[in-house]
Amino acid sequence: MFKKILIANRGEITIRVARACQELGIATVGVYSTVDKTSLHLRYMDEAVWIGDSAPLASYLNIDAIIDAAKKTKSEAIHPGYGFLAENELFASACENAGIIFIGPSSKSLALVGDKIASRNTVKKLGVPIIPGMEMANTDISKFKITAKRVGYPVMVKASMGGGGKGMRIVRNEKELESSIAAGQREAKSSFGDDSIYLEKYIEQPHHIEFQVLRDKFGNCVHLYERECSIQRRHQKIIEETPSPVLNDDLRMKMGEAAKRVIETADYTSAGTVEFLLDKDKNFYFLEVNARIQVEHPITEMVTGVDLVRQQILIAAGEKLKLRQEQISQNGHAIEARIYAEDADNDFLPSPGKILFLNEPSGPGIRVDTGIYQGWNIPPHYDPILSKLIVWAEDRKSCLPRISNALKNYILLGLKTNISYLRRIINTKKFMIGKYNTHFIGENEKNLKPSTENLDIALIAAALDKEKEKLSLTTETSIKSNPWKEIGEWEICKKNT
Amino acid sequence: MEYKFIHLDKIYSVKLEKKDDSYRVVVDNNTIYEVVDVGAQPNVISFKVKDKLQSVYFASDKDKTYLSVNGEYFILELEKGKTSSAKSAAQQKGNSVASPMPGLVVKIPVKIDEKVTAGTTLAIVEAMKMQNELSAPCDGIVKRINFKEGEQVDALKVIVELETR
Repeated sequence: MFKKILIANRGEITIRVARACQELGIATVGVYSTVDKTSLHLRYMDEAVWIGDSAPLASYLNIDAIIDAAKKTKSEAIHPGYGFLAENELFASACENAGIIFIGPSSKSLALVGDKIASRNTVKKLGVPIIPGMEMANTDISKFKITAKRVGYPVMVKASMGGGGKGMRIVRNEKELESSIAAGQREAKSSFGDDSIYLEKYIEQPHHIEFQVLRDKFGNCVHLYERECSIQRRHQKIIEETPSPVLNDDLRMKMGEAAKRVIETADYTSAGTVEFLLDKDKNFYFLEVNARIQVEHPITEMVTGVDLVRQQILIAAGEKLKLRQEQISQNGHAIEARIYAEDADNDFLPSPGKILFLNEPSGPGIRVDTGIYQGWNIPPHYDPILSKLIVWAEDRKSCLPRISNALKNYILLGLKTNISYLRRIINTKKFMIGKYNTHFIGENEKNLKPSTENLDIALIAAALDKEKEKLSLTTETSIKSNPWKEIGEWEICKKNT
Repeated sequence: MEYKFIHLDKIYSVKLEKKDDSYRVVVDNNTIYEVVDVGAQPNVISFKVKDKLQSVYFASDKDKTYLSVNGEYFILELEKGKTSSAKSAAQQKGNSVASPMPGLVVKIPVKIDEKVTAGTTLAIVEAMKMQNELSAPCDGIVKRINFKEGEQVDALKVIVELETR
């Protein structure tokens, strides 16, 4: 087993990985950018190395600095978390060249699954269904027109190196095609440094369902069932649940086996996720492989009882997978809600700022994977994810009020977050009965507006607070003077930032 | 005592009148509440309205109070007679563009003295991996550019100003 692991990330996932390391008796090395010297993740590290300025390119995407930090601290392995360099084959091969174990698939497997078109073609040969479309990226607009006509509008223009919804465009007719291609190329270039795009049929009213797979270096492979990830804003997931309300056991088995075949063909080791789209007639299509631990991995952990990050570390250390497919079952129901620093009622505009007050929920079946603390100034440089609320209950029916209540008790004051918005989603009739697809947010805008029902109570509370403030000030000054108040605003060792 | 708060650009009046152990509260000159103060913990204020206990979480930063009431969030700004900072920034916006959020100025695709039409992108601001295009509110000529590409910008700071005729 490893003695020391460097975690090349920040925020909640870094803390999640550190916990797994600590339980395995492995020392942790954290890295941080200039602005992150006050970040929560550093509290969970045995050592910490500054890797560059606040901009992601200078720090968390800086391969040389991270490899140097690993060498300097004699770390034997690097866990990349998600995002940043997690699926970057150059980073994986830089680790391989430096003799450091990359906790994830090999650079070769990464290259194969990272290229969406290459993986589509590989998967097609396996007999796993793929969405009809182009077999290679192209720049020739006439080729796009021919394919679009063949598969039928609407179609989707996608970046071949894409992810997270970047570079994706729905095209309803031929007139829109040319401008969508240009826009897709621009976005692909700025997001991934590569402007290759391709086209495929657009699946209407789809469900986004993914399967978690684990595979070791000896070829042992299991799947840990699905995650339903259809609640998305801007093509990014915000609520996930497992089991999916739309799968039956037969389809679940078929998709799970298909996911394993995909992972095996890519000779992929570690934890990986195979994403599928399920259309309204319950046909499934392979979408892509997510070659990392995913944001939503905890819901799988809650229903299967398997610690996925621990498994990643064991597999990377060359251990054999001890789990067998028939031992893994889905026990109960789990839902995750992602807490973001964003103004959900105003086009999800990012909302960095200072956390004035924080009280995270607790109770039976409630897990909070957090990366924040009260008093912290959330920097504007990185992803707006702050924490994840994961809730487990014996069945879906009891899971819904539990997560709704937990969100009600998730108090984060000082900036705008999506907490009440998430609760409104959970409480819609459509979500309650499990009838939703990836269009949910767009189609339910009206039902997701904030309510002013509690505004009067808020106004009374604010007025009472001001009144009490005034009363205490007058009593304080009249009884005795307060030296701290007289100095004015003060803070120990305050630095001008 | 009367307090005025701004919520989503609207002003609300709250009148408090102490009566023995309770308050008579008038919200917006029409709704009357009997409020019994129960007590306070740090960042929590508890009171009874119509026998229902309300525990409201709150935190204040200057004139802004952030509150969480029964799972819904509110930001109330104390109104002090003069126009609030948010409002004056909004008014300034007439012929200029301001960043809606703290972030990084990624691109300013226009130059001083350039003629632009309404809808032209004047600046692109990025925060938390999301880019925001700020477009000209009206036709005009670029009069001032207050930031350089690559610079950090605070929320509501004017980036590009136009001259209109």
